[in-house]
Amino acid sequence: MRSIKLLACIAVPMLILFLPTELFPVTGLTVIEKRVIALFVMAALFWVLEPIPIYATSVLIIVLELIMLSDNGLLIFRNPGKAEGFGELLDYKAIFATFASPIILLFLGGFFLAMAATKFRLDQNLARIMLKPFGNKPKNVMLGLMIITAVFSMFMSNTATTAMMLSILAPVLALFPAGDRGKTALALSIPLAANIGGIGTPIGTPPNAIALKYLTGDQAISFGQWMSFGIPYVVIMLLIGWILLSAWYPAATTSIRLDIKSSFIKSGKARIVYITFIGTILLWLTDFIHGMNSYVIAMIPVAVFITTGIITKDDLKKISWDVLWLVSGGIALGLAMEKSGLARNLVNSIPFASYSPYIIVAGSSLLTLIMANFMSHTATANLLMPILAALGTSVGNLTGMGGVTTLILTATMAASLGMSLPISTPPNALAHGTGAVSTSNMARVGVVIGLVGLVIAFLTIYILRLVNFI
Amino acid sequence: MDQLYIVYVDDQREILSTLEKDLKLFEAHVRLEACESASEAMQLIDELDRAGDHLAVLISDHIMPGQSGIDFLTAINNDGRFFTTKKVLLTGQATHKDTILAINNARIEKYIEKPWKSKEFTESIQQLLTQFIVANGIDYTAYQAIVHQPTLWAYLQKNT
Repeated sequence: MRSIKLLACIAVPMLILFLPTELFPVTGLTVIEKRVIALFVMAALFWVLEPIPIYATSVLIIVLELIMLSDNGLLIFRNPGKAEGFGELLDYKAIFATFASPIILLFLGGFFLAMAATKFRLDQNLARIMLKPFGNKPKNVMLGLMIITAVFSMFMSNTATTAMMLSILAPVLALFPAGDRGKTALALSIPLAANIGGIGTPIGTPPNAIALKYLTGDQAISFGQWMSFGIPYVVIMLLIGWILLSAWYPAATTSIRLDIKSSFIKSGKARIVYITFIGTILLWLTDFIHGMNSYVIAMIPVAVFITTGIITKDDLKKISWDVLWLVSGGIALGLAMEKSGLARNLVNSIPFASYSPYIIVAGSSLLTLIMANFMSHTATANLLMPILAALGTSVGNLTGMGGVTTLILTATMAASLGMSLPISTPPNALAHGTGAVSTSNMARVGVVIGLVGLVIAFLTIYILRLVNFI
Repeated sequence: MDQLYIVYVDDQREILSTLEKDLKLFEAHVRLEACESASEAMQLIDELDRAGDHLAVLISDHIMPGQSGIDFLTAINNDGRFFTTKKVLLTGQATHKDTILAINNARIEKYIEKPWKSKEFTESIQQLLTQFIVANGIDYTAYQAIVHQPTLWAYLQKNT
């Protein structure tokens, strides 16, 4: 099975590579553009069928770009005969730079914060304190858990947050009598809140980072600006999710008690972690005062934790390079599509201008939502964002609706809403693994949350337009 | 290549068949191999190591003809190829002195007394297998159906 998948993933792009450019329905297609199409199709097939891990595909994209598209690639790929209609080779340094794009370093900063917080049990302690006011009623405890999960997933990875919250929840789940549906609600509330919470900040989840990559110049959004619409959106979606779960899976048990054994560490290093954590967030929110952008600020916790030995050499090796490289590959793919002119060419060869802009926005986010249910959210964003960015800038009648910003932001939210199957996201898989949530439970909640979430996303953007935010 | 193995050693056929039943849960994801003596097991794990496979869990009885279980597990513990292998001693007849040797020299991860409770036994093995998977950087998603959830969560909390 795996080898059949692998074969398809390689054969189809190869075929595209060998077709003459005249056969493509894009006028004036250059050889370079054709190679980018082949690369894009390869990436799409690899990310959908997953014959190799998704981050491996990203690395493959970057290396193939260096060999086949760059000005320092293999000689035979560099237009040796000076043929007409060859197109422009890419700067190899630009391709390499995707590994250290500011977006990547913003995420690295986020990883440092999350890692230090976990190492010094800041997460456990905050969870304990935040859960207290919610009492013992299952419905209220669930709301508390959802809020904590959402807040944490804004700064930590959704998977790590889910893993932590499930381990807090597991002893309670085990005590539920068989047949009590409240168990399903609780287990499902965690991945739901983690997926939604990721939308809250630029570092909440990788699709947000990819979105930021395409919102540049006049469209650029600061950390604080993102949170100003991200947080209200998360709050509304959490409430909807909570109401839905408590209505569909009411608990028969009247009282539950979550026990989090943890106490604040009071060492000097721990204090540095607390201060740096709060300080970094404050800096992110006050860029208009001090002038440092979110990317520059992200390096401050990195420097603090490295110089103070809070993050050691060994911890460095545990950084999720796979996530960073997955995003790098996406950026590299976007770079090739933009610089070769392919993204614009493709968009121009489809008469988007004759479509209603409402259809374009609704269609693109619906497509994102569907794809995100079946494949990695980040890979979905990697594939769609470059096209949407080109669509937003070249289709004139979209400008009245906020152009690129509207398209990219709705699609970004849609990418995080893909959660109707255990395979949709790692948090979903973990919750499914508890045995308390069946696939049909998950699908029922996921589909409703996905569609309602899209509508709320459109409303959010509409309101942002009204107040001239975008 | 990269196949995970659970190898169990006991000189009594009945014990081997009970173990086979208790380990059935792992069958679809992990290769299960029964051996009747330490020397047979040694030969098997030599081969699987050469094939690039992993000895994830090794379960051994203590009192057997030929090499004893504790001596065998000690040899495995000192063998660089199997540093991360999870070792389980399954016995009803180990003396106090044997037990000390098993902990200090063989560095066993689990001591299970005969007769054992099926459910507890499988959960222990699940736990050890999961620890082996995450400690060796093996992609856990392929084993999601059989991993010990809390062990996986504890790992993911710190590593994503």
